[in-house]
Amino acid sequence: MRAIKILERVIATIPIMFGVAIMVFLFMRLTPGDPVDIMMGQGGAVSAGEMERLRHEFHLDQPLSIQLWLFLKDAFRGDLGYSYVQKRPVIDLIVERLPATIELALGALIFGLIIAMPVGIISAVRQNSLLDRFSMAGAFLGISMPAFWLGIILILVFSVRLHWLPVQGRIDHSAGLQEVTGLYVLDSLLTGNREAVASSLKHLALPAVTLGAGVAAVVARVLRSSMLETLRSDYVTLARAKGASEWMVVLKHALRNALIPTVTVVGLQIGVLLGGNMIVETVFGWPGLGRLVVTAIFNRDFPLVQGTVMVYAFTFVMANLIVDVLYTYLNPKITL
Amino acid sequence: MNSIQQEILLELRNLSTVYPTKRGLVRAVDGVGFSVKRGQILGIVGESGCGKSTVLLSILRLIRRPGYIDQGQIIFRGQDLRGLSSNAMRNIRGREISMIFQDPLSTLNPAFQIGQQIHESLRLHQVIDGSRSLGPLKMGQRAREKERVLEVMTEVGIPSPVDRYTAYPHQFSGGMQQRALIAIALVCEPALLLADEPTTALDVTIQAQILDLMRRINQNRGTAIILVTHDLGLAAEFCDTIAVMYAGRIVEQGPVDDVVANPQHPYTQGLLACRPRISERGQRVQPIPGNVPDLAELPPGCPFAPRCSYQRGACDEGPIPLVSTSLGNISRCLLHVDYRRQKDWKWTDRVALEA
Ligand SMILES: Nc1ncnc2c1ncn2[C@@H]1O[C@H](COP(=O)(O)OP(=O)(O)OP(=O)(O)O)[C@@H](O)[C@H]1O
Ligand SMILES: [Mg+2]
Repeated sequence: MRAIKILERVIATIPIMFGVAIMVFLFMRLTPGDPVDIMMGQGGAVSAGEMERLRHEFHLDQPLSIQLWLFLKDAFRGDLGYSYVQKRPVIDLIVERLPATIELALGALIFGLIIAMPVGIISAVRQNSLLDRFSMAGAFLGISMPAFWLGIILILVFSVRLHWLPVQGRIDHSAGLQEVTGLYVLDSLLTGNREAVASSLKHLALPAVTLGAGVAAVVARVLRSSMLETLRSDYVTLARAKGASEWMVVLKHALRNALIPTVTVVGLQIGVLLGGNMIVETVFGWPGLGRLVVTAIFNRDFPLVQGTVMVYAFTFVMANLIVDVLYTYLNPKITL
Repeated sequence: MNSIQQEILLELRNLSTVYPTKRGLVRAVDGVGFSVKRGQILGIVGESGCGKSTVLLSILRLIRRPGYIDQGQIIFRGQDLRGLSSNAMRNIRGREISMIFQDPLSTLNPAFQIGQQIHESLRLHQVIDGSRSLGPLKMGQRAREKERVLEVMTEVGIPSPVDRYTAYPHQFSGGMQQRALIAIALVCEPALLLADEPTTALDVTIQAQILDLMRRINQNRGTAIILVTHDLGLAAEFCDTIAVMYAGRIVEQGPVDDVVANPQHPYTQGLLACRPRISERGQRVQPIPGNVPDLAELPPGCPFAPRCSYQRGACDEGPIPLVSTSLGNISRCLLHVDYRRQKDWKWTDRVALEA
């Protein structure tokens, strides 16, 4: 039953993806700047005939409607075209970069949750304590601080001053990591390469903290306020009246119900993680989708931008589907 | 009555519980004392906000901060619960003294199955002996626990308990939810059941069923019950003794027949007069005029005086003692204070009133 519902939701993403494809296509065409001009501007003087030939090759001489049709037709078959600049299939470029982005997003999410869960719970249990005030002030700071700024501060402190952590990249190549999944921390664990574990974690630390700080702040605040509410509820009084210990009351009865609104917010944060990674990847030289798409936008590399944005959209939709499924497990009143 | 039934199970002495608020200290319970014998049913009756729930929560020491028990003793089976460690107190809660609440839906945890919630009480107190089962035999203990849960679900009248075990609270009707709560309270066979308006949220026919169930439990198991209600009529039918509360204090207390047939305190008389009676059509219901006082700003004298038709100047002068009346009830009213021995009272109209 649940499997069928999930399948229905997956199928329902097709029209969403279709809409995303049309939007990104149109937005790219609306931005001023011609891809061929930009390419040629970088390469120096080129004959008008050569530019004409490239325009023809990219179908840029066709009417917009034809271009859109060609793009959608290919995309539907899973062909996202060739990058104008890199002259390679877009799908290959994305597959190369995707694991780095996933690793960063997961790292940030895990960091954010590891901070937010205890902070949110303890702040609620010890409402108005020094710790509560301190962490909520910290959360306010975390929400209002721009990621690039936090990233630069962290680099200045931990890399430039203290020399504890690297500034750039994902791993030291001297660690000799054998790739399995493309998630380097996971790969080093799988291959039992201790040096690589340390190196990849060190490289991941600052970008993940930078990207995850906002998540930690938002989730901690939501969890705190939901916990404050559930801790006041009648079923928590009943749990105490049954003779449950205080930590059972908090971690079982109150937390379980407080997670329901929190999960929704975590789902929304996945969008923030994907959007924020463009800045963070640029600050930390992290070779992921974010940097790929930023460069592609500057180059007006239409197929590459379109392809990357569609992957973003797909990831976002899937992440929300996972959150929705999780939600039904937490909240027995809701079915998919 | 045999001697076991005479044994005093719970005795409150001079219990006061307060809630500090922005408007001042709310004296929700002020010097309350009563005792409950084994197998007895005590009713606590009073209007909304008079401190009934606070009495029950104080007994289990579940008053929420910033509220606290200010003074008094809660003597259960000879020991003062206020002196117990929080661990020892947890062993009392749910095992020796259980509580059921007014609003069943909000009291059941929406995230857990009904069966799990009943089972939790059982497991918390290790009532089903698992000491002899080792390793895989733990399974046997689990199965026996589940059996006990199903047994108590049947006892409280939840039909097809095996199917209902895995249901969630929102899938139950209000009456079934209250039965589930009673099952949670009873699964460890406590000696005392605190029932805080257990039928207020239910419709009339379900109310009767739930009360019937509670009476059966009282008779079959000898479970003592403290029933909190704002309905004096209901208490009259159900209880052995009645304590009437007003503004955090007990104003009248006694065996049910005396209190209902011969109410001594003007407030009890008022409660009886405003009870709708089907048998006596045509007789008008007379509500008590005025409103309950603000517990943060109680007058020095009788808090009921402003609403009382017997009110005299002396009522406002100082605290009124709880005294025995000629009938064996005890009442907190100057009507029953012997004016000759209390020279300070200016109670000149007493003779006129008695006439
Ligand atoms: N947590 C609290 N903080 C402040 N005041 C409180 C708190 N709980 C109860 N009170 C006050 O204490 C008084 C007694 O409350 P309590 O809930 O015991 O009354 P009650 O007789 O059970 O009323 P009801 O019939 O409405 O349930 C009320 O005036 C109420 O406003
Ligand atoms: Mg109440």
